[in-house]
Amino acid sequence: MPIIEVKDLVRDYTITSGLVRRNKKTINAVRGISFSVERGEIFGLLGQNGAGKTTTIKMLITMLAPTSGTCKVLGYNTFGQEKMIRDKVNFIFGGEYGLYRRLSARDNLKYFANLYKVPLDTRDKYIDELLEMVGLSDRADTRVETFSKGMTQRVQIARGLINNPEVLFLDEPTVGLDPLGAETLRGIVKEANKRGTTILLTTHNMYEADELCNRIAIIKDGVFLDLDTPANIKARSDTKTTLEITLTKNPLNIATISGVSHVASSEKDGLTSLRVSCQSDNAISQVLAVIEPTTIKSFKNEVATLEDAYIQLVKGASE
Amino acid sequence: MNSKSVVITSMILQMKQTFARNMFKYCMFIAPILSTIILGEMYRYAPQENFIAFVVLGSGLWNLWGAIAFSSAGDINRERYSNTLSMIFSAPVDFRLIWLGKIFGNTILSICSFFISVIFAMVLYRIPVQVYSWGLLTLAFALTIVSFIVISIFIAYLLTLSRRTTLFMNCLEFPFILICGFAFPVELLPNPIMYLSFIFPPTWAVKLLRSSIVADAPDYMHILVWLLATTIGFILLSSLLYKTIFRQVKIAGTLDMA
Ligand SMILES: Nc1ncnc2c1ncn2[C@@H]1O[C@H](COP(=O)(O)OP(=O)(O)OP(=O)(O)O)[C@@H](O)[C@H]1O
Ligand SMILES: [Mg+2]
Repeated sequence: MPIIEVKDLVRDYTITSGLVRRNKKTINAVRGISFSVERGEIFGLLGQNGAGKTTTIKMLITMLAPTSGTCKVLGYNTFGQEKMIRDKVNFIFGGEYGLYRRLSARDNLKYFANLYKVPLDTRDKYIDELLEMVGLSDRADTRVETFSKGMTQRVQIARGLINNPEVLFLDEPTVGLDPLGAETLRGIVKEANKRGTTILLTTHNMYEADELCNRIAIIKDGVFLDLDTPANIKARSDTKTTLEITLTKNPLNIATISGVSHVASSEKDGLTSLRVSCQSDNAISQVLAVIEPTTIKSFKNEVATLEDAYIQLVKGASE
Repeated sequence: MNSKSVVITSMILQMKQTFARNMFKYCMFIAPILSTIILGEMYRYAPQENFIAFVVLGSGLWNLWGAIAFSSAGDINRERYSNTLSMIFSAPVDFRLIWLGKIFGNTILSICSFFISVIFAMVLYRIPVQVYSWGLLTLAFALTIVSFIVISIFIAYLLTLSRRTTLFMNCLEFPFILICGFAFPVELLPNPIMYLSFIFPPTWAVKLLRSSIVADAPDYMHILVWLLATTIGFILLSSLLYKTIFRQVKIAGTLDMA
């Protein structure tokens, strides 16, 4: 049995505007997506702002009713069988909301522990561990409203782990975290996953998605553009290699080479920096031949990244 | 066991949050004093019996009502804006227990403001304490609080449905004070509104309190029956509505601001 089972899932929002003459408008946030996530997987949901990621997560965590389609977690319908799901899942939303800001971090965690039926005898010790894990032990007893954005986000992370969930949903969990904090979060996600937690996450950080996810779905305007392992998605991308070159002079004719899909150039301190996306080995040799006569200050080649593949997919879909 | 602890922790959390708000000082101390002065001037030349019934009790009830129902409505709003409403709503424990705890928290604080207002009225206008039956008064007071709690749960449920809670909230406080006869007898209201007022338990609660103060407690039993009947009516109505409302909330998606 898959842990998450979504089939032809649709969600519309009706919004009304205008005070006197009320205009009704329907927004099709999610338009028929299907996927399933197996136990122990880390599944990524990538897509632009407004693509429907948060809406999908809200339906999965029993917060929002689907307009139509199947939406099951742990084999139960998220709308109608909420009781069977809620104590086994949890979620972490990015941003500063979702906490009682006038209370301390510890009071917040204690309260949510109570709402998630965490046994009293282990509760306080577990909260201490969580606070330690997110690096907030020394500020645990001050009010959340005095916290920085990243610190608030850390409290959210601890809150999301309070019931040691079987399935964890993360919506942009690294928003506002410093690089070290983001690294810690990725560690926490991996650690939870190792202990058996199934994870669904959204992020705008392609590096993070590539590092963490077993499979990724790319969503645009409520439909999936692709769903596969990061490796396969990258392999399907036209870009095989990206060259990063710094030169003393700009060889203007690189973009015309066949097999070069994209060139970005910038000038700084009299030097030209180029980012050249190559689709074949042949294109790489031709680029090298063109830059040969100029003085090369630095040279780096990168195999295709998830970001390249993502941009190509999403841009391609808009055209 | 867990249910009880959810109610209690929600109550404590609610009180902690209230204490942390500045508005709280206004509600707790300034509002009772203001309402006492307003009603006191209205009834300056009234017989003493009316003075006790409508000024001392009236301003006390005004504040009790404000603090229980009005702030519970405000809480829905606040929790919606901080996105905690959808959080507690999606938690494993029953939302009704959480909300009951919050209302208990508000109730304890509002009983304090009730007494502040009553004491202030008695000191300011030098009213001698004259009560026909303390026993009946205590019973009436306890039932008044129950009826206020029931109404505010009902209001809170309705308010989860819409994002325009601020508007509703402001529309609610004063009409209720007038309709339910806190400041003057409902019999002075136009007929249709008077009959409307009979639907709401606070109307009967107010009558019951007054009846226990004046001599012979006329109609005490009669009013008591009405109070119990309307209160039970609203309890039934709320529990019937609960399922529908909380399905609807998820369909409409009105729990958060995102
Ligand atoms: N409560 C709501 N009422 C009306 N429309 C909404 C509501 N919530 C979301 N939408 C709309 O649904 C669409 C999808 O929004 P959603 O929040 O799911 O996007 P997202 O993929 O999470 O975007 P982001 O990356 O910006 O977080 C958007 O067009 C948005 O305007
Ligand atoms: Mg989102």
